[in-house]
Amino acid sequence: MTMKRNQVMLAVVLGALVSAPPAAALAADSYVLGLTGDLTGRDSANSGAVADGIRIYFDRVNRAGGINGHKVEVVVRDNQSEPSRAATDAQTFVNNEDLLLMITASLSSTYAPTISESKRKGVPVLFAGGVCPREVFPPSPDPLLFCTSGYAAETDVKFAVDYIQSVQANATLGLISMAIPISRGSLDQAAAYAKGKGMKVIGHESAPPPTANYTPYATKLKESGADWVLSWAPWVTQVKTFEALRQLGWKGRFISYGHNVAEEELKRIKDPGFLVFTTNAMFSDGQPVHKDVLGAAEGKTKFPPTYLNEGWVAAMVLESALKKAGWPANRAKLASAMSELSVDLRGLRGGPITWSKANHYRQQLFYRVYGWDGAGNRIKTLQDWTSREVK
Amino acid sequence: MQTVANIVVLAAIYALIGSGYVLIYRVSRVLNLAQGELMMLVAYLLFSLATLFGGHPASALAGAVLLSLLVGFVLYVVLMRRMTGELVIAAVLVTIALGILLRGLMVLVWTGQMQRPLEKLGWQNPPVALGQGVAMSSVALATIFFAIAIYVALFVFFRYTAWGVRMRAVGENPLLAAQRGIKLHVAYAMAWALATFTGGCAGMLLALDSGLDGTMAIVGLKAFPVVLVGGLDSLRGAVVGAIVVATAEVLAIQLIDPLVSDVVPFVVLIAMLAVRPWGLFGTEEEIQRV
Amino acid sequence: MAYASGYFKTDYAMELRLIETRWQKVSAALFFLALAVFPLAAPQFAIGIANQVFIAIVGAAALMLLTGYAGQISLGHAGLLAAGALTTGILFKELGATFWISLPASAAVGAALGLLFGLPSLRLKGLYLAITTLALHFVVAFIGGEYETRRGFSTGILVNPPALGGFALQEQQHWYFVLLAIAAAAMLFCINLLRSRTGRALMAIRDHDIVAESLGIPVRRYKLLIFVVSSTMTSVAGCLLAYYRGFVSIEAFSLYLTIDYVAMVIIGGLGSMLGVVLGALFVITFPYVIEGLLRILPIPAGIANEIFAINYAAFGLVMILFLVFEPLGLVGIWRRVRNYFLLWPYRQTAVGGGGG
Repeated sequence: MTMKRNQVMLAVVLGALVSAPPAAALAADSYVLGLTGDLTGRDSANSGAVADGIRIYFDRVNRAGGINGHKVEVVVRDNQSEPSRAATDAQTFVNNEDLLLMITASLSSTYAPTISESKRKGVPVLFAGGVCPREVFPPSPDPLLFCTSGYAAETDVKFAVDYIQSVQANATLGLISMAIPISRGSLDQAAAYAKGKGMKVIGHESAPPPTANYTPYATKLKESGADWVLSWAPWVTQVKTFEALRQLGWKGRFISYGHNVAEEELKRIKDPGFLVFTTNAMFSDGQPVHKDVLGAAEGKTKFPPTYLNEGWVAAMVLESALKKAGWPANRAKLASAMSELSVDLRGLRGGPITWSKANHYRQQLFYRVYGWDGAGNRIKTLQDWTSREVK
Repeated sequence: MQTVANIVVLAAIYALIGSGYVLIYRVSRVLNLAQGELMMLVAYLLFSLATLFGGHPASALAGAVLLSLLVGFVLYVVLMRRMTGELVIAAVLVTIALGILLRGLMVLVWTGQMQRPLEKLGWQNPPVALGQGVAMSSVALATIFFAIAIYVALFVFFRYTAWGVRMRAVGENPLLAAQRGIKLHVAYAMAWALATFTGGCAGMLLALDSGLDGTMAIVGLKAFPVVLVGGLDSLRGAVVGAIVVATAEVLAIQLIDPLVSDVVPFVVLIAMLAVRPWGLFGTEEEIQRV
Repeated sequence: MAYASGYFKTDYAMELRLIETRWQKVSAALFFLALAVFPLAAPQFAIGIANQVFIAIVGAAALMLLTGYAGQISLGHAGLLAAGALTTGILFKELGATFWISLPASAAVGAALGLLFGLPSLRLKGLYLAITTLALHFVVAFIGGEYETRRGFSTGILVNPPALGGFALQEQQHWYFVLLAIAAAAMLFCINLLRSRTGRALMAIRDHDIVAESLGIPVRRYKLLIFVVSSTMTSVAGCLLAYYRGFVSIEAFSLYLTIDYVAMVIIGGLGSMLGVVLGALFVITFPYVIEGLLRILPIPAGIANEIFAINYAAFGLVMILFLVFEPLGLVGIWRRVRNYFLLWPYRQTAVGGGGG
């Protein structure tokens, strides 16, 4: 009995191996892009939504006839934010000769393998939805790496510190990060920057990714007398620390980076002391492009449609890049098209994404600060688009 | 004072999670490494039931409790029963594989987004002031209450009820127990059902307190040092282990550096393994030596 | 078939031979020929998978020595792989060390860790040993994390491709032959170790340590020895992994990696070097197979992303099925199939477990 079952299983497995080389069945008369993202791992709420945004966007583009008369095919692979899986994905992608570009939508732990594979075969990489790696920043970015993500560690925290100081010059600042290198590092910079500006910084707490209870961290922040807390970390750490602080009766203000979940979360928390700063406009703006996203996303994603902004931005940029690269495109052509590109984001952000040979990030960053308007029971803009030069 | 409150809350969480490991290990000598996933599953079941019976929080909670017992029971009958007589490491590996399977299924059904069963139940989680500036959330207070209640119930169950005594006997010596007419499989199945229930309580309470997403399974693994410090086969040990580890962790956050809080439980564990490898309250015969 | 049907050994030289019959010689030659031709015919994608399998074989062989033959359970495997990879990464970043320095350095670090954490193995057995080795994992992870953060390599350390005598290893095809040679050498080393006095002593310890002791086998010395040998090999596999991947990131060495390796030796079949190869092949290719199967099915665009969750769950399910229905692992299946043909037209009836 068992033997037969096993033999059948073996046959099925072998059959599948022979008959299905993944990604080989793609038609070469379309633009082929590869996306490696965290679809089932710990960042799946963020990265999965980016992947959905890109998929839904290009579905629509394809239905409307594609780009330069050719469809866009996005091959999606799941890396669970595990570096080794990302390495395998990247390897698969760069060895697919038809593939023009890799998109990475996962935690920064997956960047090193992707970059390393991209260099081997000269495949451009777009970082979408995760933090932008150092290699895309001016003055001499890696010629193959580009980033559309809304957030960028160092500039972000500096903006936040400046904002806090503009609201309350003598603020006592506490910091909370997640114990992963990128978050810790950024807030260390924030601490140094704030001290340089003459603010009182009372500590930098760092919670490990799986934390059963954030109250001990909150207690330490509260007891040290912070009246402002700044966080730049994955959303879980930010919001759970804030909620733990409020449970302890802390009265101060909390400012954190607004990931794509922020809009829904602001509506849930309804606390005027909880602010987010972000480079993405919230859907409460009601721009035409927002209605556009809501319409296109209807029934096509498991996420609230407001999560899709990062994916949408990445897809808009890719569309212009492919348009510019023409047909037939190749990796080098696409990379050179991307290195001189300016894309109007139609209100999804405060300004365009402009890339040049010396800057694969953007020339200017536009930040907004959002909060909750308790009286009006709605999201309100506390500070409108503020631009920052990216140097 | 707040620090003491924090220690108590964390210890209650760890003790609840840890009881699941201990129950199964004590009765069947299998280390259930899917404990984290099981508690997450129960929390998700609560979330779905709460969505289903929006207006009846009590029936949603009761349903989740019943389902947790059922899940544990079914898992034993369908899966773990087949592992009796196999290598212990194979049985442990089955629980790991079960964890992978469950995690995949949970992402499939509930996605990785943060879910909030508390809102679906229509409840609030207001802070409770305990005097002297000490405060904690209502759910945290409930967690302490349930941890105590469940442990008291378990002690009573194992000491005074027939089935409790039988389960202890099975854990002590399955062969003799079987010869005395105790149905081994029933005892094992009960251990699994109970463990899923107590672990599930921890999962539900954590989810009610601060939301539910894919990282809860890892929290389950964090409670692992707790039971090792206390002794894998001792419920009393799990309580003491939970207090020791929670104290070390909270004090590390408060006094040293939050960064070490992740390592502290394992430092305590290594120290314990060096001195008393069978844990504070574990059975000494457990350790096979050369 | 390729097996001698009886015992024909007439001198000691024959006893030492690995290949006994002409048929075996022919099939081994064909096997190696097929391996040599494979990268010329197969797509890049398949060669990449083969390379991963070769590295996995080195790591899994080390674990098989420890768990399958010496009966010591270890959960620190990912930690040891990380130690090798980190040594490579740190040496490369700090000193610009070449392959010929990093490789022995990784081996040395592995040996030292094996010695340090092998010492408890003299006292502990079973699950408690597993837990001690788990501590090893967390110690290495902590050190790696601190190094990466402090030195500002927060997204991982990039390692340049190794140069072997002025020839940079970059293409998958080139890696293929290097890794094949290393994997074959590792297998040969293990097979010969197991045929020696050491191997027999290890198996005696695994089967009954008290009897082994009374037979005059120095149990402690052998346990420590195998811990060191296994850790060294694992660490070397970690070094290869670092070079092959071109990066080192401590987050790549999670507990799940340990689980993968434990799965390899169990699914392959404990106590068999053939099991190492089959297990590594199975665990590495499995996700691709599921993905391939799912891609054949027509999947509506709306649930396109769900296939990854299904893929993930399927891995768990298949592992469970294996453990429950085929405790002897792939080797058990292989032996049954082989015996079926060997004994045909007679049937084999299982005697005490059905191993051949």
